[in-house]
Amino acid sequence: MTRPYPAALAAWRGAAPAPAVASPLPVPALLERFHPDRQHSAMVTLAVGSSAGQPCRAELAALLQADALVEDVDIAGAPVLEADVLVIGGGGAGCVAALTAARAGARVLLATKLRLGDSNTVMAEGGIQAAIGAEDSLQRHFEDTLRAGHFVADKALVAALVSDGPAAIRWLIQEGMSFDLAPGSDRMGGQLLRRKPGGATAARLLSYRDFTGLEMMRALREATLLQPGITLLDRHPALELLTDDRGRCAGAVLHDLAQGRPVLARAGATLLATGGAGRLHAAGFPTSNHYGATADGLVLAYRAGAALRDMDSLQYHPTGIAWPPHMTGALVSEAARASGAALVNGLGARFVDELATRDVVAAAILREIAEGRGIGRDGVEGVFLDTPGLEAREPGILAQRLVTLTHLAGRAGFDAAQEPFLVRPTLHYQNGGVAIDAAGRTAVPGLLCAGEVTGGLHGRNRMMGNALLELVVFGRRGGQAAAEDARGERPRSIGLNHLAEWRRGLIAQGLPLTRRTPILFPPYGNFDATADRGRAA
Amino acid sequence: MTEPGSEAPPEIAFTFDGQPIRARAGATLLQAWIAAGLPLTENVGCMGQGVCGACRVLVRRPGERLAGTALACEMQAEAGMQVSFVDHFPARRAHAYDLHALTDSWTALEQIDRVFPEARHCRHCGGCDHACPKGIAVQRMVTLAAEGQAFAAAALFDHCVLCNLCVAACPEHIDPAHLGQFVRRMTAALTLRPADLIARLREIEQGGQPIDPEAPGANPAAAPSP
Ligand SMILES: Cc1cc2nc3c(=O)[nH]c(=O)nc-3n(C[C@H](O)[C@H](O)[C@H](O)COP(=O)(O)OP(=O)(O)OC[C@H]3O[C@@H](n4cnc5c(N)ncnc54)[C@H](O)[C@@H]3O)c2cc1C
Ligand code: SF4
Ligand code: SF4
Repeated sequence: MTRPYPAALAAWRGAAPAPAVASPLPVPALLERFHPDRQHSAMVTLAVGSSAGQPCRAELAALLQADALVEDVDIAGAPVLEADVLVIGGGGAGCVAALTAARAGARVLLATKLRLGDSNTVMAEGGIQAAIGAEDSLQRHFEDTLRAGHFVADKALVAALVSDGPAAIRWLIQEGMSFDLAPGSDRMGGQLLRRKPGGATAARLLSYRDFTGLEMMRALREATLLQPGITLLDRHPALELLTDDRGRCAGAVLHDLAQGRPVLARAGATLLATGGAGRLHAAGFPTSNHYGATADGLVLAYRAGAALRDMDSLQYHPTGIAWPPHMTGALVSEAARASGAALVNGLGARFVDELATRDVVAAAILREIAEGRGIGRDGVEGVFLDTPGLEAREPGILAQRLVTLTHLAGRAGFDAAQEPFLVRPTLHYQNGGVAIDAAGRTAVPGLLCAGEVTGGLHGRNRMMGNALLELVVFGRRGGQAAAEDARGERPRSIGLNHLAEWRRGLIAQGLPLTRRTPILFPPYGNFDATADRGRAA
Repeated sequence: MTEPGSEAPPEIAFTFDGQPIRARAGATLLQAWIAAGLPLTENVGCMGQGVCGACRVLVRRPGERLAGTALACEMQAEAGMQVSFVDHFPARRAHAYDLHALTDSWTALEQIDRVFPEARHCRHCGGCDHACPKGIAVQRMVTLAAEGQAFAAAALFDHCVLCNLCVAACPEHIDPAHLGQFVRRMTAALTLRPADLIARLREIEQGGQPIDPEAPGANPAAAPSP
C-alpha cells in the first residue's frame, strides 16, 4: 500500500512539476470522513458546568470535569500578593494586556508558568493578518474570517478583530517590531509585503521573514520587562482562581515552582492569557505547540463558572514534520504553501488545492495516507511538501524568505532545495475556548480572557495570521477593560468559594473526584503538582 | 507521544546535570532528559523549534577542553557528552528606557550612549561571540551600536533568540542581548512608516471602512464555496 520513501522520491522526480489535481471528493465528504474531529469517539457531551450539554473533545473534557488541585487548607497561611490587575500567562496576549493595563494606571502582576515569552507566540512563523491593501477592506477580512470558520464565529468579535487590525500593526511598530517590506519598497512611505493566507480573497498576511512570532515576542518581552508598574513572576503557574462570596473572580492561587509552595495573588480584575492545548496530544497527534500548552486556562475559567464554546473543534496544521522522528510535530510554516510549494503524494501527484483552508488540506493529507497513497519512512507516514519545486521556480526564496524552514531542513539533515519534506498533520490550535465579549470579559465578573484561550473568533477553523492579530487586539481590549474593572468594587471574603458547588456538581453527575487538574505540564514532564507542594511542607 | 520510536534504535550513554543517562540514538538532549524520567518544569519552551532560547546548555564532548553552548532542543545526544542546563537568571533592569519617549532620530547615538554607556568599553574579549548558540556576531553588533550604526547593528541581531547567554558572558556588563533589542526596536519605531498602512488608518478614522454584518458574504446561504 504505502509507498516506501525511495520509490516515492523517484515518482516525485519523474513527475516534477506535479500536475494540479482537482480534489475528487467534495469538501463536506472529505471532512466528514477524514477530519480527526469527526471521528466517532472523539467527542463527549459535557455533563457539568456552564456549558453542560455541549460537545467537547474527550481529552479536554477529562480535564474540565475534574477536581481542583488545592483546598482551603493548602492555601491557609500562604503569602499574599496584591495587585489591581493579575495577568496569567506570559505569551503575546499576556504581555500586551499587561502593558495596556499598566499604561492605563493599574498595578499589574504578571504570572507565567515558564519564563516570560516561552509560549506559542514566539513560535509563530507565517505572519499576521491586517486588511491594509488598497484592493482589500475590513469587510473582506470580516467575511473571509467568517467563511473560513464555517460561519459559526461570533460576528461582534470578528468585527472587533478586523477593525482594530491596522491599528494593531501600528501599535506593534510603535513597540519596536519590524515588518517585511514589499520588494524595492522604502521604510518611509513604502508598502508592506503582503501575501495571501489560505482561504483569503486578498493578500493580507504581513510578516517578519518566517519568524514573525519571534520578532513580535522579542519586542513585547523587552517592553514588558521595561514597563514601570508590572511585577513579573516567572515559574509561577496558576493552579486555581480565587473567588469571593458573590462569585466574582478575585485573583488566583499560584504555585511557586522554585520554592514548591502556593502563593495567593489577589486582584481587582484577573485576565487569563494561558494559550492553547496542543500538549494534550488529542487523538494521539504530535503537536507544534510549546511545552506549556496544556489547557490550564480553560480548566480554571470553567471551574469558576465561565462558559466555553466550540470545544469540539481543534486545528490540525496540515504540514507538521513526519520525519525525522526527533522532530515529529514541528511545524513547516504555511508560508511555504502560501509562496507556492505543492503537496505531492507517493505517486508523484498533487491531490488538493494547497491554499484551501487548513481543515480541508489536513483532511486531504490524512486521506492520502489512509488510502495507501502516503509515503513511508522509518515507520512514519506522510506526503511530500515540494520545496525543491518552489526553489526551482523562485531561486533564492528558501534562503532569503523561508529562513526557519531552511534551518529546519538543515537540522533534519537534508537540503530543502534538493529534497522535499515528509509532512503530516500536527495538532496546532484550539479553535474554541472561553466565551468572551468584545472587551474580553467572561460571564464571571472580574475575569477576562485574551488570546488562544478564548473562543468565538475563529468559528470552527482559524485562518493563518488571525491568531497573532487576535492576541494583540484582544490583549489591548482586555488589558484596558481589566484596568477599568479593577477600579470598581473590590472582591470580599476571598477564597475558593466556587469549589463546593463545583464538587457537588461532579458528584451529582457521578463523576469521580480523583482526577485533579490543571496538569500544568504534559505527562512526559514527570511533574506532580500535589507532590511538589509537599516539598515545601 | 512525540516520539514514536517503535523500532529499537541503538542506545548511547552520556551525563546530564550530573546524572548518567541512556538515550536512544538520534534523540535531542531535551528528549533524552524526559525519556530518563527526570522532571522538566524549567529550561524548556518551544521544544524543538530553537526560537525561544529557554533550554540553554553547556556541552562538552569527550576530548574537548572547553565546553560550548547549545540549545537542548536542537542538539542531539552523543556518547560521552557532558551536559548541564544553564539556569535562567531574572533580567536586571539596569538599562532602562522608554521607547515612546525616543522621538528624535537625530539623537539616536546619544540615546544608545545614555542607556548603554558600557558599550563603549567593550574590551573585545569575544566572550559573547563564543557564548552565542546562534552564531551571532555579538561583539561586532556592540561595536556598530556604539558607533551609532543602528541599522547595521540591528541587522546582525536578526536571529537572536534572547537566550541571554551573551549577557552572562560579558565582563563589562554591556547586556548585549538587550542592546541588540534596543537598536532593533528603536530603528523600527523611528523609521518604519508604511504608506499603505497609514492610508488605511486614515480611511478608518474618517469612517470610510464600515462593516456590514448582514452582507451576503457574511452569511452561509449566499456565500460562494471556498
Ligand atoms: C509553531 C506555531 C506557529 C504559529 N504560526 C502562526 C502564524 O504564523 N500566525 C498566527 O496568527 N498564528 C500562528 N500560530 C498561533 C499563535 O502563535 C498562537 O495562537 C498565539 O501566539 C497564542 O498567543 P497567546 O498569548 O494566547 O498564548 P501563548 O503565546 O501560548 O502564551 C500563553 C502563555 O501562558 C503560559 N501559561 C500556560 N498555562 C499557565 C498557567 N497555568 N499559569 C501561568 N501561565 C501559564 C504559557 O506558558 C505561555 O507563556 C502559531 C502557533 C504555533 C505553535
Ligand atoms: S541573547 Fe545573545 S547569546 Fe543569545 S541568541 Fe541573542 S545574541 Fe546570541
Ligand atoms: S563579552 Fe562584552 S566585552 Fe567581551 S567582546 Fe562581548 S561585548 Fe565586548
